Amino acid sequence: MFAAAGALLVFNLVVAAFGYAPRDTLGAAFAGTWGTAYGTGQVLFKATPLLLTGLAFHVALRCGLFNIGTEGQLALGALVAGWLGPSVGAAFPPLLAVPLVVGASVTTAAALGALAGFMRARLGVHEIISGIMLNRCVDVFLPWVLVVGLGATALRTDDIGAGARLPGLEVWVPAFSGSAVSVAFPGAVVVTGVVYLWLERSVAGREMRWVGLSPTACGSQGVDVARRRIQAMVLSGGLAGLVCAGTVLGYKGYYELGLGAGAGFSGIAVAMVGRSGPVALVLAALAFGTLAQAGLSINAQVPKEAMSVLEAVVILLVAAAAGVTGGDGATRATPGDGAEKGDGDGAESGAAPLARTRPVPSERVP
Amino acid sequence: MTTRGALAGPPLSLRAATKRYGSVTAVAGLDLDLLPGRIHALVGENGAGKSTALKMLAGYVTPTSGDVYVDGRPLTPLSPRRAMSLGVGMVHQHFMLVPPLSGLENLVLGCEPTRAGGRLDLERARREAEALQVETGLTVPLDPPVRNLSVGEQQRLEILRVLYRGARAILLDEPTAVLSPVEVEELYRTLGRIRDRGATIAVVTHRLDEVVRFCDELTVMRRGRRALSEMKRIDEPGLADRLTRAIMGHEVAPPAVPSAVSDDAPVGLAVVEATALRPDGRRGLDRLSCRVRAGEIVGIAGVEGNGQTELARALAGLMPLASGWVELRGKRLDHGTGDPARAVQRRRDAGLVVVHEDRHRDEMILETSVAENLVLGDLGRLPDAEPDTVARRFGIFDVRPPDPEQLGGALSGGNQQKVVMARHLDRPLVALVAAQPTRGVDIGTARIIRAALAERAAAGAAVVVISADLNELRGLSHRLLVLRQGRIVAELPPTASEQTIGQAMLGHTGPSSDRAPEIDDVATTSPGAADGR
Repeated sequence: MFAAAGALLVFNLVVAAFGYAPRDTLGAAFAGTWGTAYGTGQVLFKATPLLLTGLAFHVALRCGLFNIGTEGQLALGALVAGWLGPSVGAAFPPLLAVPLVVGASVTTAAALGALAGFMRARLGVHEIISGIMLNRCVDVFLPWVLVVGLGATALRTDDIGAGARLPGLEVWVPAFSGSAVSVAFPGAVVVTGVVYLWLERSVAGREMRWVGLSPTACGSQGVDVARRRIQAMVLSGGLAGLVCAGTVLGYKGYYELGLGAGAGFSGIAVAMVGRSGPVALVLAALAFGTLAQAGLSINAQVPKEAMSVLEAVVILLVAAAAGVTGGDGATRATPGDGAEKGDGDGAESGAAPLARTRPVPSERVP
Repeated sequence: MTTRGALAGPPLSLRAATKRYGSVTAVAGLDLDLLPGRIHALVGENGAGKSTALKMLAGYVTPTSGDVYVDGRPLTPLSPRRAMSLGVGMVHQHFMLVPPLSGLENLVLGCEPTRAGGRLDLERARREAEALQVETGLTVPLDPPVRNLSVGEQQRLEILRVLYRGARAILLDEPTAVLSPVEVEELYRTLGRIRDRGATIAVVTHRLDEVVRFCDELTVMRRGRRALSEMKRIDEPGLADRLTRAIMGHEVAPPAVPSAVSDDAPVGLAVVEATALRPDGRRGLDRLSCRVRAGEIVGIAGVEGNGQTELARALAGLMPLASGWVELRGKRLDHGTGDPARAVQRRRDAGLVVVHEDRHRDEMILETSVAENLVLGDLGRLPDAEPDTVARRFGIFDVRPPDPEQLGGALSGGNQQKVVMARHLDRPLVALVAAQPTRGVDIGTARIIRAALAERAAAGAAVVVISADLNELRGLSHRLLVLRQGRIVAELPPTASEQTIGQAMLGHTGPSSDRAPEIDDVATTSPGAADGR
């Protein structure tokens, strides 16, 4: 609530600074997003990569790792999808071609995640350092491989074959006709549910979470900490590799330089805001998708970067709210007699931000 | 003799003080009076509310209802700073020292004397510190970094620190849990001196022998209430037994007595010429050898930091041996140089189970449920279905409150240790190594855990108990081995006198030197520094 109100206030100030009536701008923002079926579709389209990168970041974070490399992982994966798409899509029917192309993207991105995970777990290189470095490597590798390797002239791949295209969501919900959302969105939601379930139930998933909570206790009790960390990075990278389903297969039909860029970093914010559970994560992705789409629809009046300001304000306020409602650091830092300390509220505090993020400012037009 | 007048301490009181954490009531309507010139002992089981009561008096914990009085006036606002300004200081169970800073720097940290322009005046700090040392008889080396001080010295530094801030009432939360017997005596000598100068002193402890020997008044707490409160009469016979009954609320089972071991029992666990290097290159274990027969309980005594941690870690497979080896039932184990996770699992599968000393670091995940903690490290390798295993392990000891879904961190220390011991004792055992199995655990739980250890030995396991509690070792073991500087320096019968054991622990230098020859960083620094995150 505070986050929403604060963000709304800042938004009004920004818009007023540009000389427009905040009311009109908000109206435009709403009309461009949830106000119409097309706008809603666009929001879902924008939310698809954010949900996947948010999930990717979340998985690594549960294992105590900060996968800042999703940006490079999703780009390299998408490139592979764009590279294989034309031939595979032409040769095979969708039931075969889509899994093949997406699978190749996932594998590539997972391999990049594995590299960062291996360097952390076995060589002690911190994953933030290696992640940033690998992002830079991918940045320079992509144009080179597009031009030199694939002989592209416009920094894009050829159009992928029909078999590798994902249909738009309009095949199920005709109202979304014309918007860019594809079946990748419901797919991403299903993946989110499956991954959360896996983290809760499977041996590997549970041990990953334990490693994230206490690597020393896990190591002393025979949990293979290094292996779980590498696995978490593989899974995280692989999820980033799924992003191509929405962008390359479901929307553009080819890979071009910069497609999906930024989703990796925004995914960190999505994961932070939506960390209390799968539903919260989907809502957070929708919220950030809404902001991104709203930015486009108000672009005529106010630079769309105003929405980035709004994003930043939301993140700051949610982080601050989590700090206020979260575990009291002073009491948690002195583990004496457990019961005499007796505050077990630290873990539950994640539930608070969910309530705070749900009302997205642009939905609350007066 | 006095240089600055007596440390006339303020009387401290709690009136109908209650503290609730959610649904848990830690302290329920407690009346407590601490008088100047007395050492007041607070005893009771884990979770009885002793620490909470102390923290209320020092302003760290705000009572849900009821009042705190310092010198007859209500403590407002309720904050540690306010309490300190009224002369009430607290020494926490986990030291609040910065390991790389010198003793002097730690002493003045947060209230540094300054010259003009806000520059630190360490010379003045030193003069004041030295005057305070002379005055109180508390001697602590001021120049070496704190991480090089022994546990006892660090604790004296903590006491000196609250005195430096003007405390005339000192509240100590389990000060003796980490001290060797010699250090315990030294601590109470120090506290006695401060008391004689008029200070108000309160001590939370689990060790009744300390209460009987050193304290003037006592309060027994049970489930947040006062179960007994009185002046201690000197040399009252059977006081310890009477206190035990008051603490437990009922009669307790007699302590576990080890059953006899036949001389022809096979050797279960043998350590042969084991040398292990610590990260700093010093020898944590120095050609250590020992043999434990099946059915035998061997107690390892020693001043903290003389290789106890390394012995447990090396046996668990977490610390590679530079030379020497470990045998289980005569079969040589690998050196533990490979992947530590595999080494731990291989040894556990072979029947060698190790309980580490630091519960929060090595044995439990506080932020996850008790049920998950009961199978930590066993996922994917349990012979039975997981819910069955959890139910069985949960039932081994009487864990309270009886809810396996609550967080591990919400349990009291004693109940956490029950969870840890249940997990280990439920595994197939050839040899069991338990480091500090009852540290910070109340009397009742400690007896249950010791009985379980004796029972496993009687069932044929070779048991090694590493403990700082000599009474525990003497009551439980068939043989005592004394560890000093990574070596076994003496083998003694459990009937050996405390003095004999103490001399072996310290070498021939006698009880005046309680400085540990080598310091175990993990055990002596603050929990944050040892956390490794």
